[in-house]
Amino acid sequence: MGEELFRTTCAACHTTGTDRLVGPGLQGVEDRRDHEWLVSFITEPDRMIAEGDTIATRLLAEYIVPMPNLGTTRAQAESILDYIASANEAPTGETSGTPVAQAPATEEQVLLGQALFQGHTRLANGGPTCNSCHEVTHDAVIGGGILARELTTVFSRLGGPGVRAIIGSPPFPVMQKAYEDRPLTEEEVAGLVAFLERADAEQELHQPRDYGIKLFGFGVVGAALLLGLYSLAWSGRKRGSVNQEIFDRQISSI
Amino acid sequence: MDVRSQISMVFHLDKCIGCHTCSVACKNLWTDRKGAEYMWWNNVETKPGTGYPGKWEDQDIYKGGWEKDGEGIRLKGAGKPKSLTNIFHNPHMPVIDDYYEPFTFKYLDLIESSAGDDQPTARPISMITGEPMDIKMGPNWDDDLSGSPDYARNDPNFANLTDAEQEAMFELERMAFFYLPRICNHCLNPACVASCPSGAIYKRGEDGVVLINQDVCRGWRMCVTACPYKKTYYNWNTGKSEKCILCYPRIESGLAPVCMHSCVGRIRYLGVMLYDADQIEAVASADEADVVQRQMDMILDPFDPEVVAAAMANGVADSTIDSAQKSPTYKFVKIWNMALPLHPEFRTLPMLFYVPPLLPVVATVSEADHSERAGELHDIAKHWPDSWLYDTTTKELFGTIDDARFPLEYMASLFSAGDTTAVADRLKKLMAVRLHRRLVTVGDVAKETVDAALADTNLTPLLADEIYYLTSLAKFDDRFVIPAAHREQAIEMIEFTGDVKGNTGFGFKVGSAVRGA
Repeated sequence: MGEELFRTTCAACHTTGTDRLVGPGLQGVEDRRDHEWLVSFITEPDRMIAEGDTIATRLLAEYIVPMPNLGTTRAQAESILDYIASANEAPTGETSGTPVAQAPATEEQVLLGQALFQGHTRLANGGPTCNSCHEVTHDAVIGGGILARELTTVFSRLGGPGVRAIIGSPPFPVMQKAYEDRPLTEEEVAGLVAFLERADAEQELHQPRDYGIKLFGFGVVGAALLLGLYSLAWSGRKRGSVNQEIFDRQISSI
Repeated sequence: MDVRSQISMVFHLDKCIGCHTCSVACKNLWTDRKGAEYMWWNNVETKPGTGYPGKWEDQDIYKGGWEKDGEGIRLKGAGKPKSLTNIFHNPHMPVIDDYYEPFTFKYLDLIESSAGDDQPTARPISMITGEPMDIKMGPNWDDDLSGSPDYARNDPNFANLTDAEQEAMFELERMAFFYLPRICNHCLNPACVASCPSGAIYKRGEDGVVLINQDVCRGWRMCVTACPYKKTYYNWNTGKSEKCILCYPRIESGLAPVCMHSCVGRIRYLGVMLYDADQIEAVASADEADVVQRQMDMILDPFDPEVVAAAMANGVADSTIDSAQKSPTYKFVKIWNMALPLHPEFRTLPMLFYVPPLLPVVATVSEADHSERAGELHDIAKHWPDSWLYDTTTKELFGTIDDARFPLEYMASLFSAGDTTAVADRLKKLMAVRLHRRLVTVGDVAKETVDAALADTNLTPLLADEIYYLTSLAKFDDRFVIPAAHREQAIEMIEFTGDVKGNTGFGFKVGSAVRGA
């Protein structure tokens, strides 16, 4: 039961070894922290961070991404901790939750990811498109959402395994709910990771150009040209009253 | 031959005294409403003058009417491409100052002001904004040549006159003017109907009255631009355009339109004419010099059995054909050839015809020696030291047409697209009838002169008497021959009247149109 829970809820960000993904590797965590603290943190990390627990605050500063409240019960937390401990005692010394080394992404994968991110290609299981909530600064992507984090630098912030883990089994409640019954396939995950990696690596090339005051200048000149064109096209129009001359003279003579 | 009936009108300008009774009658009946205060479906202009709205005849300004386009014609200022490109701003429309800003006076101030040192006055207030205003203009501001340097001098009809001719018209002793009453011409080729993007304007099949359906009008105002006579008006309150309806509710009940009924000078005639609708396009596209004559030719003889048969086959009612045979307008326009349409060069084929005014010179001023008679005058009598003789006993009592106070070119510019012979022919007829009657009633004209005048215009004394009768003695029923409207047939096309017989009475199912957006 512990293994199952770890794989579905924790493995996105943690390994049972020493490797750091989004969060720290958890080998020997029982030696580092008090058991009661661990159980509290696993069940209600958001409350502990909000209450300013010293260790939680320090961890947040170090790992940047706050651990979400995953609704784990005390009993589940105990079983997860049991599993972590048992995994480390395993004679083979293997650690679970560590993704295998990545082969370099192919161009097809990047393009697939790009299409998936924008929704040009629907996700196979019908999950919502990334850009309904996220934005990436990339010339090929127009107008992402601003409901969730901007993802241009996500790769350097979280690293490949972290990104892969979050997309594969999202730790965030909204994302979790959104993809609960509609998980992404392996290729889709690989594609999106590849795309985000590319976007991160090439972000310097994809910055929108800043025209500064020139943009305003072009606007003014363009408007003047258009207005000039209009007044030329309608230069034969009737201007004012045919009697205006008479009125002007009569009024000025009063 | 596609024979249709058209209610046509003749205005006899020789009889118009410029009293504006027609305008006031029309105003009281139809346009005394919010948004319509500035409209004068009927107005009377002084000629020479710029008219209402100012310079309406100058289509370089207003772009009204049709113009030649190769073999055919096209609207000068409207039509599909022009309407589309100017859909948000119609660039040649008259503005309120081209008409005039309607005003009233704050009469209540006269009786409700508190006691003070000054006499209260009724200030003029705008009927559009309700604010006090300076009156700058009215619908007949140039009446009787008032303000002639501003108005009469700028008459667009002077375009074909030399400067010398124009100056002659404004010489103090020679100045003359006449009145031009105008209503909608209910044209055969109406530019307003052709220009309407909503299809709201239509020409009634049974009598050719041009109407704007207030339920369909969307206020594009293309008709205001397109009508060269500026006889469609935009109601700023309802957001729809309106025009003269030829008092069709009166016509349908056998009454003359109110402008005609009220006419003091009895200058107006109304009657049915049958015409060949197949020819409309060809006539409207004819060369400018031919338009008038071809329009006359298009009007058919209601006594011709072939025409009658074709009319009956086309559904023209017997009573309408009968009216056409008695029509006073048919006599003036076709039989006697005495009337002309206003500005035929606009190519709308107007069905309101004008008998041009004769404006005869009945006296001459010459130099004479008064010294002989000076001694006859009493001491206290005013003695004029000049030597002018105002002579009313010329040999040619009415002078000749060429001596008329208005150059023929001016009349031709108004009534015949520049053809002076067409105008001269009509004026000569008027003159011949006058001479004939002078011989009959006074007898101081030589019979040879009269006979020559009649022969010259193909008139006989009998015909001249007939013209005289319809001009001067005609009774109400002679001047207005109104065909039965046969509304009973119209209503039966819409509903089975047997259903409502014995219930609440007859009536159209559709309620009266609620005006306004």
